[in-house]
This record gives sequence, structure tokens and C-alpha cells, in this order.
Amino acid sequence: MSVMDDPAAPAHGLSARQMALYRFRRNPLAVIGALIVISVILAAIFAPWIAPSPESAGSFVDFRNRHSPPNWQNLMGTDNVGRDVFSRVIFGYRVSLGLVVWVLGVAVPFGIVLGLCAGYFGGWTETIIMRFTDIMLALPPLAMALAITAVLSPNLINAMIAITLLWWTWHTRLIYRIVKGQMNEDYVEAARVAGASHMHILFRELLPNCFSAVAVKISLDAGFVILFGASLSFLGLGVQPPTPDLGTMVATGSEYLPEMWWQAVMPGLAILYAILGFNLLGDGLRDMLDVEL
Amino acid sequence: MSRLLDIRDLCIGFDAYGQHRRVLHNVDLHVNEGERVSLIGQSGSGKTVTMRTIIGTLPMPPGKVEQGSIHYNGQSLLDLNKQDRNRLKGTGISIVLQDPMLSFNPVLTIGRQMDDVIRYGDMRLGISRARTERRAHMIETLKKVQLTDGNRVLDSYPMMLSGGMRQRVLIGMALLNKPRLLIADEPGTALDVTTQDEILALLNRLVAEEGLSLLLITHNLGVVREMADRVYVMERGHIVETGTRDEIFDAPKHAYTRQLMAAVPPLYGAGVKTTRHEGTHPIINVNAVTKTFETRSGWLNRVTGNFRAVSNVSLTVQQGDIFGIAGESGSGKTTLAKIIMGLTKPSLGAVQIDGRLLDGFAGTQDFRKLIQIVYQNPGSSLNPRRTVGDQLAVPLKFTGFDKTATKRRISELLDLVELPQNYAAMYPHELSGGQKQRVAIARALSVNPKILVLDEPTSALDVLVQSTVIDLLHDLRREFDLTYVFISHDLSLMRNFCNRVAVMLRGEVVETGPVAEIFDTPQHPYTRALLSAIPVISPEEDARKPKVSKEERAAVLATSTELEDT
Repeated sequence: MSVMDDPAAPAHGLSARQMALYRFRRNPLAVIGALIVISVILAAIFAPWIAPSPESAGSFVDFRNRHSPPNWQNLMGTDNVGRDVFSRVIFGYRVSLGLVVWVLGVAVPFGIVLGLCAGYFGGWTETIIMRFTDIMLALPPLAMALAITAVLSPNLINAMIAITLLWWTWHTRLIYRIVKGQMNEDYVEAARVAGASHMHILFRELLPNCFSAVAVKISLDAGFVILFGASLSFLGLGVQPPTPDLGTMVATGSEYLPEMWWQAVMPGLAILYAILGFNLLGDGLRDMLDVEL
Repeated sequence: MSRLLDIRDLCIGFDAYGQHRRVLHNVDLHVNEGERVSLIGQSGSGKTVTMRTIIGTLPMPPGKVEQGSIHYNGQSLLDLNKQDRNRLKGTGISIVLQDPMLSFNPVLTIGRQMDDVIRYGDMRLGISRARTERRAHMIETLKKVQLTDGNRVLDSYPMMLSGGMRQRVLIGMALLNKPRLLIADEPGTALDVTTQDEILALLNRLVAEEGLSLLLITHNLGVVREMADRVYVMERGHIVETGTRDEIFDAPKHAYTRQLMAAVPPLYGAGVKTTRHEGTHPIINVNAVTKTFETRSGWLNRVTGNFRAVSNVSLTVQQGDIFGIAGESGSGKTTLAKIIMGLTKPSLGAVQIDGRLLDGFAGTQDFRKLIQIVYQNPGSSLNPRRTVGDQLAVPLKFTGFDKTATKRRISELLDLVELPQNYAAMYPHELSGGQKQRVAIARALSVNPKILVLDEPTSALDVLVQSTVIDLLHDLRREFDLTYVFISHDLSLMRNFCNRVAVMLRGEVVETGPVAEIFDTPQHPYTRALLSAIPVISPEEDARKPKVSKEERAAVLATSTELEDT
């Protein structure tokens, strides 16, 4: 028998990527999630060109047109100084996604490195990193963020710092658990026998095996970061006016509830839309990449 | 004779990733009342699909019966409604699964799990029995599988039983509702050969005493010879040959059957290949090595005892040897290999490789250029997320090869293990088991070591693939003048591959010497017991196996019927 025609070889002739894509396409909710996320990202990037009234994003005032309910001119109505809510929502996505990119861009690599080290080296490294992580996890996140922003003065940058300081812990725990499992696989020892350095084993052997879990976690996280940022802004500790932010808009809009409901409800729905998209996408990715979280 | 199970012209297909693929092609198979029938084939041949279709656990979709029929006792199984079909489970057709650990729920007692089987069986038959009655029935059934201490077994959790006992309980469970047809899927193959031997004897006795019919599904020809009246050979979803046991074994007609027979390494007789080598220069010296592990338990995880994995082992491997280390699970052979590789430090004693002590030498570049290891399971020893080329490059990168030299060496290595060049860009899951093991061998050879430690390199492979890998190892040894340390539980394979063997039992080497000597005149009772338990494929081998009485056996081995006192 030749090496080539082994009956146990995979038979459908598809690459891993093709199989994953097939599973993804067969999941309508995941596709919807992906479309939502793409629409949010496009809206954020091209906000100045898409928004019907780009000047609404700044400290624009139009008192003649204030508090007007949703109509063809203003799809989501106007706010208390006559700015177009729809345009502000689109610009609000910019702030939200900026927050997501910044927070996850810092917190995820940091969490991953700590998790890799804790799982791989074990012993004291593991004890110190993981117990510190546990302590951070034990602090109520919103209270922590409130304390940090209150001390550092409330603005967007400080809100980002506060959220970042809390966010890495989840990734550390996730990666730590995966690495712990992978350490039982012979390939780690095989790499060591081959003379590989710690750096090589950590970042070339172990890290690629964490990617799918991290991808899922990031897409689920994105929704929560948006919500968390909006919550801080709602409490007046995040983005300051006149910068359009979904949380701040809900906060100011809520003063006019219930008569002028659109001022709070529309930005709220926008938050819901983005989070729903990221969560559906995350669930879809989880099924596609077959990871357990 | 009436046909109890009758499969006619069965075709089954699967839909996967938008493609349709037929996996069973016009399968005809029947089991007569009171007959023992074996279905033999390599992994992926369709044995398990056939079995699952019979018992009705084939997931449909994606599976689909395209044509054909299955009759049990005159009833067409595929036409029965779900309720009637379920009624047959356990009461008409019963099954013994392969893995005795995975088949139990670890958090429920054996008694609870057996009781469930009885109650649901009774429910299907529309009867009910009192709890005490059911318990009496369980104890009686356990007696049939030679577990006399029924009460204690029933109150145990699965992890408290040995593998052999779990397999016995599993067989007992299959018998609880008095089936007429027993389907056994690779019984005992997950167990040590001595335990497997006991299990097979038990199954044979039960079939005779209880008047059962048996459909045995296996890849092991030796097991078939001991267990079957009639044999079906399956290859890629086709039944390629069928006949009585003697017809198949004495005069196999189909090329595939002959190939299978030829690939089984013979234990005795004319077919045995003896590797001859008389080394003059010792290359590995294991001197009175002991490894003790502490066992911890209880309050604050204190050390509560010691476990000797390797106990006072001394060995000398000559340059050019294929040195076999034989033993069953838990005998310490893998720990010994790790000590030789410098991965585990011995508690006592010392190891010298090529005249140098391991302390301070293990892990250096010179050491890596001297000795490398091939692991048992290439699925685990290859990183699933890195390409073949990337993985072959690792040892090269850390021994100072530059980019172009690495590339050249990878292409040489693929040639050496007879894999096509384009495999460098593939991921492990795109390869079959045998191909993966070739990659692992290539990786071990990449920096031109003199010694390879082979930790059961073929135990995860089918016998046909195994023989191609063994041939490759022979070629490589000749070409590069390699020394092998070959760890295995498969004594037939060792007889044909190694030139010297050491037999290990509970951490000690009980016997060591040239391979022909050990196999022809085994001295230690354990070696004799091991050899006698191997299922072989010819009467000649059977006749030449050492005969071991029950008492002799009991002196060295615990049987799988007794609960250990803890």
C-alpha cells in the first residue's frame, strides 16, 4: 500500500478553512451578526460621509428644530438643541468602536501574555499571576471604573484606562486554562526535546492554539466594552459633551422621557443593535471554530 | 439454522459539507442462531457504521440508508417504529463497547447504572420488579462475568475498579436484559494483553453457556481466530471476503485479506524475521536507576506515600541495537524512556549516553544531536496549528541552521520518510495517522541523531500502516547506522523488529536478553504469561506459545476479578 492512499485520510477534500466557512454560512444568525458588525464598522469609518447632518456631531445648535419627533428629515428625531439624533448615533459608533479597539488592543495582548506565562511556567509564576488576577476579578468592575475615573477626572481617555485595567483578567484566565490543557500534549515536550526556547514554545507553539478561543472572546467582548463605556458615559464619567456618545445621549435624552422618547430610546436601540451584532457573531464564530468558553 | 440477524444489500451514505459520500456498499452479512461471527477491517472501513445501523444509533441525518434491509428475528429493523425498535435494545440486541472507562458515568455507582439498565429494559417490556429483586438479578449477572463480590462491586464507583473489571461489568450490563444477540465492539483492545485474554475467554464461555449469538467487531486478526466461527472481511465499505474461520485463515482468497494476514507480525514459526546485530560498543548505559514519585493526598496535600515507577533498572544498549523495552501499562517503560531522554531525573542511579553522564549533558545541543524521541500518538506530538514544514524546522532552527539550509533539509527529510514535497505546507489534520507518524520520525531525524527512542510509535496505527512504518524504520537504521530504543506492549512486533529485549513488570526488569532467546525459552513466569496471552493467527504459533497454568499466572499477575483492598 502506498503512503498516499491511506483509507484513514480525510476524504471530503476540503481544507480546514473551507469547512469552517461552510459551517459559518449554514448558521443564519451568525451571518446576520456579521452583517450587523460590518454595518456598524462601516458607519463608524465613513461617518462624515454617511451622516445626513455631519455638523450635528459638534456643538451645533438649531433651536427652531429642537425636540422634533422622527420624520423623513431626521430619521431618529432631534435632541434638545435641535441636533439630528441619527447623525449623532453614527458618530457615536466612532467613539464606541474607538473604545473597543483601544481597550481590547491593550488588554487582550497583556492578558494573553500573562495567561501564557502562568500556564506554561507554573509554580510561583502561576501562583502570583493567577492570584493577582483573582483579586482583580473580585473587585466589582463598575465600582472600580467609577473610582478610577473619579480620581483621574472624567474623560474618554481615563474611561479607556479604567476599562482596560479591568478587562485583561478575563483573557488571562481564558488563556491560562487553554495552556494548562495544552501542556498535556506531547508537542510541547517534543519542542523542548528539539531544543526550542521558552519564547518559541510560548509564542509559536502555544499561542496559535489559543487563537480561535481569543477570536470568539474578542467578538463577544466588543459588545460588552461598548455597553460598559456607555454605562460610564451615562453616569457622566466617560465621554463629555459635545462629543457624540451613545451613553451620554441616553443620559441627556432620559430627561425628556416619556414624551420625547426618541432622544433616549433611539441611542439605546443603537447600543442594542451593535451589541446584538457582536454577540451573534461571537456565537457564530464559536460554533465555527468549535471552541468552548 | 435460522438467521437471527440478516443484513442484505445495505448501502449507507453520509452528507458532509454539502457533499454526499457512500460509506457502505451493498453489505450482506448474517448471524445464525448461536453463531459467533466476526467483522474485521481497518479503521475507516465501515465496521462501526454497520454496528451503529444495526442498533439504531447512527445519526440520521447526516447518515442515510440508501438501500437494503436489516432483519432481526424476522422483523425488519429499518421499518420498525421508534418504540418497537427501542424495545429491542438490550432485550433483543445488546452491545459491549470498546472503552470500559468512557462507557460509564463517573459520578454514579455501578449499581445505580446497572439498575437503570434493568428498569428501562423492564419498562420497555412492560414489567416491573422490586428494588431487591433487581439487585439480586444484578448480583447474579455479575457472577456470570466472574465477579463474585457483587455487593461491593455494585456500591463502587467506576474509577474504583480496574480496567478489566470495568470491562466485565460492561459485559454484565449487556447481559442484564437477556439479549439473544451480543455485539462486541473491539472488546478488551483498550486493555493489557493479559487482561484482554481473560475477557475473550469470558465472552467465549458466555456465548456457549447462555446460548447467545455474537457479532464481534475488531481489527485484530488474532482475536478473530480465537473468537469466531465465521468471518467477514471489510475494506472501504465493501465486504471483500467471507467464509468460515478456517477458510479465511488457512486459505484467504482476496488480496486484501492476504495483505492483512501478511502484515500481522508472527510470534513464532517460519515467517518470523530476526534482526541480528552484535554490538561491540555500548552507547546507552543505565546503571541501577530508580525513580520514585510521591503520592499526595488529604489535608494540605501532604506526601502520604511513595510510588516506585522504575526500580533498580540496569541496562546496556549497544551501538546499532534495536533494543526493545516490553511491558504492560504501568510497568514503568515510558518513565524509563523519559529518564534516558533526560526529561525526568532519576531518584537514584545514573544514565550514561555515549560515555557521558546525563547530568549537565541533557538538553545541550550535543545531546540533541545524539538522541531524539518519537512519541506514541502523532496526533498529540505534532502541533495541530502549525504546518508540517514549520514543525520540521524547529529542531533545525535551534541547532544553528540558516533559512536556506533549513529549507533544503526539510525537503531532504520529506524524501527520507517518503512523503511528497507539498506536504510541508499541510497541517497535521490533513494527514492520516501513518503520514503523521512519518512527519514525527522526520522531525526526530532532522539533526542527524545517533539514537532514536521510539515510544510505541505504531500502537495508534492500523496493522497495514504499521508494517510500512516499521519498514521505513528498518531502512533508516541501515542508512544512518541508527540505534533504536523501542518501547512497546506489542510482543509480536518486538519479536520481528528488535534484536534485544528487556521485559518490565511493575518498574523492574524481570528478564533481558537476545530476542530469540527470550521468546523461545522465556524464563520468568511473567514473560511466559505475557507470551501465552497474545492472540496469534496460526495453529503453529499457538502450539509454540508457552503454556501457563492458572496458578503460575496468579503468582505474577492479579486477575481482573478481585477488588483491591484500599
